[in-house]
Amino acid sequence: MRAPELRNLSRRNFLVSSGALVVGTYAYTSGFNPALASNGSELAPSVYVAIGTDGVVTVTCHRSEMGQGIKTAVAQVVCDELEADWEKVVVEQAEGDARYGDQNTDGSQSIKNFFVPLRNAGAAAREMLAQAAADEWGVPVAECEARDNAIHHAASSRSKSYGELVPAASALAVPTNPTLKARQDWQYIGKGQVHVDARDVATGVAEYGADVSFPNMAIAVLAHAPSLGASPVAVNLPDAVKANPNFIGVEMIEATPAPIGFNPVGSVAVIAKDTYTGIKIANEIEATWSKSPNATFDSDAFQQQLRDATAKPGKVWHEQGDANAALDEAQDKVEAVYETPFLSHAPMEPPVAVANVIDDSVEVWAPVQDPQTTRNTIVQAKGFALDKVKVTPTLLGGAFGRKSKPDFVLEAVELSRRLQRPIRVQWTRENDLQYDYFHAPSVQRYEATLGDNGMPTAWRQRTAFPSIMSTVAAPNMVEPANWELDMGFTNTPYRCPNQTIEAAGLPAGVRIGWLRSVCNIFHAFGANVFVDELAEKAGTDPIDYRLAMWNGMDVVAGALPSEPGHEFKIARLRNVLKRVRANSKWDEKISAGVGIGVAVHYSFKSYVATVIEVDKDDPNYRATRAYMVLDCGTYVNADTCRAQMEGAVVFGLSGAQRAKLTFKNGGIEQTNFDGYLVARMPDAPEIHVELVDSTELPAGVGEPGVPPIAPALSNAIYRAGGGRRRSLPLI
Amino acid sequence: MPISLSVNGSKHEVDVDADTPLLWVLRDHLALTGTKFGCGRGLCGACTVQLDGTPTRSCLTTVGAVAGRDINTIESLVEQQPDLVEAWVSENVAQCGYCQSGQLMSAAALLATNAAPSDSDVDAAMAGNICRCGTYGRIKKAIHRVAEGRR
Repeated sequence: MRAPELRNLSRRNFLVSSGALVVGTYAYTSGFNPALASNGSELAPSVYVAIGTDGVVTVTCHRSEMGQGIKTAVAQVVCDELEADWEKVVVEQAEGDARYGDQNTDGSQSIKNFFVPLRNAGAAAREMLAQAAADEWGVPVAECEARDNAIHHAASSRSKSYGELVPAASALAVPTNPTLKARQDWQYIGKGQVHVDARDVATGVAEYGADVSFPNMAIAVLAHAPSLGASPVAVNLPDAVKANPNFIGVEMIEATPAPIGFNPVGSVAVIAKDTYTGIKIANEIEATWSKSPNATFDSDAFQQQLRDATAKPGKVWHEQGDANAALDEAQDKVEAVYETPFLSHAPMEPPVAVANVIDDSVEVWAPVQDPQTTRNTIVQAKGFALDKVKVTPTLLGGAFGRKSKPDFVLEAVELSRRLQRPIRVQWTRENDLQYDYFHAPSVQRYEATLGDNGMPTAWRQRTAFPSIMSTVAAPNMVEPANWELDMGFTNTPYRCPNQTIEAAGLPAGVRIGWLRSVCNIFHAFGANVFVDELAEKAGTDPIDYRLAMWNGMDVVAGALPSEPGHEFKIARLRNVLKRVRANSKWDEKISAGVGIGVAVHYSFKSYVATVIEVDKDDPNYRATRAYMVLDCGTYVNADTCRAQMEGAVVFGLSGAQRAKLTFKNGGIEQTNFDGYLVARMPDAPEIHVELVDSTELPAGVGEPGVPPIAPALSNAIYRAGGGRRRSLPLI
Repeated sequence: MPISLSVNGSKHEVDVDADTPLLWVLRDHLALTGTKFGCGRGLCGACTVQLDGTPTRSCLTTVGAVAGRDINTIESLVEQQPDLVEAWVSENVAQCGYCQSGQLMSAAALLATNAAPSDSDVDAAMAGNICRCGTYGRIKKAIHRVAEGRR
């Protein structure tokens, strides 16, 4: 049993207890506070960095680490500006607290939003250390150079380590507008760096939520309701269960009425002294449940409803010219319906949470993507005061968006409060698949007529899917929201003088949530396969066809206003497409009849182009090679960016090849990895990644690699002779 | 009824039912939390340990069946195959890391029995270990690198 290490919390306790300290009201803050710097044993001008008299640089990472390397990237940014010695760096995980600014690690925006604030934090500390040295030596600060965890004065051959300078530096005022390093002077930013937890992971000592233990902790394993909205009514305990010395008891948790948000579903919790007893008994108990309106939910029937919705007009989001007239009269149009199923996040670490309620306070250790939302949800649902709720994210064993929804934490808090002891809620894989916040199924209908030059003259696209809003906001908000549609549909780069863009939504009988790249998954699929079909009809290469469609275009508009500096620019989309064409030797392979497909997509402010090759002789068209080109603007860890593209290929192939979830009578039919089929080592192609060298603002990395994979694969299968496949899964 | 186990070269006595999966004995009773729970049905490989050198899914192996056998877990790997651990670090193999204990145990067993595995040898040996982050390419590269280093 291992209690979590109590790290040196003196600095953080000071901050937490001084409730009056407000470090900025900005969501993206440099975390400065003058009061932080006046502790003589430590220089801590910002919540993100502290230097001790021993010269150790502690970087506090306020974003959740789920394998995307954010702890390492944050440290690279701070240390570059600080001119720190990497060997002296320690990275700690922040608890959920508004002083850190936004902590919602979602939407591929940690570096995008915090690049400058983190640079400011490191630079401020550097300037204070330089000033302290200058003051002591009586020289101009401009002559003092920061390098390798020390300040150097070349003219007098004097140096002082950061550790030695901390007492004097910490008495100085915090410069809130420090000078940042020039790009050509970056030492860490833009380079590769092994992840700070790499050794802990490889030696089996990295600590995840299920590894956190307390004395007197009990384990809870849950049997959740057979369909969404049902609550347990009664539980029957066999005598053998009652006689089991490791069995503690059962608790019933009521279903949360819609909109469920991040609150728990109905369940029976088996409380036990050890995990296996909990799992065994959760399988042995019999419970009766209340009726749920979702008990008849059927995914096949739902898919048909989505199809029907695209067969008629939906809500019009964009109308230019008169596409309807042209298409409804057309003798010769290209029409295609693209379908994608429910998908599950299925991170390797099933949801788990440790909660310890003592009187009116609660402490939580759990793999959560947003510890502030977790705290707020606990406050709203359970009535604790915010300052009595502490949430510390553990290392996440994969998330992909599942762990933004802390329903499993709420279960642990409730059970700990009832039982007045620390509780670990451990979800099984069956729990995880049954009660995911599922990636929405979709149907899209695309229709277009082509002119003599092969370019589209009229174009209508319709999408139908259940909106995430109906799960998280209000049950009647079933229509796709503007931000869901700006994921590849209303911000499509494929424009036409007569064009209509429509959307429809329907309520699903299960929870819907965001899954790595969200609606971009199905919108990129529909768009990139349809454009391939148009190109074929026009007798044009699909890359040339896209380039022709984009001729003369500059910035793509969508349903939402552009974020300054992150406008969707066709020039960048064109560039990644041209680069992947070159890297993959596309033209040569097309001539040689290779089973090869292309796709390109803009999401989370980044641009990704993909070419996939498949084995023509394999009846399952195994992917043999994948070429990725990523333009994410300025990047921090080059190796992480490559790894995220490699990982996105595999994640995208999982979602494209065999993965599919089905529901009957309100319940899921797939229970484990034997029913939900994900990519394994033999499915992984050889992957080549190019990172575009760019001075543009930092943009997303974690998600943008996923959307182009499924369409590139479908297009490759087509060219390999496998026929046009418009439905996922493809195999 | 106490059961005797040999784990990473040390003897332990645990008082559990013989049908308890080894995974949960390691994690809940011996505080060896490096071995992970991923699916409970031997489908994902996160729980892989070595039993007399053979990679074994500890979630499906009862503790009664392994009494007296040599069990090795991820915690012993850095001593037994330090070059494998080093390769994992220097190639930056892991992303979230949760599957990697199982990946390493399977890889270690492969390398102990096959000094020059081909790509398809690696595919076959590692097919039982799922990685949702998609680190397969780096795992394969690290395995080849270690094999080459030993030759």
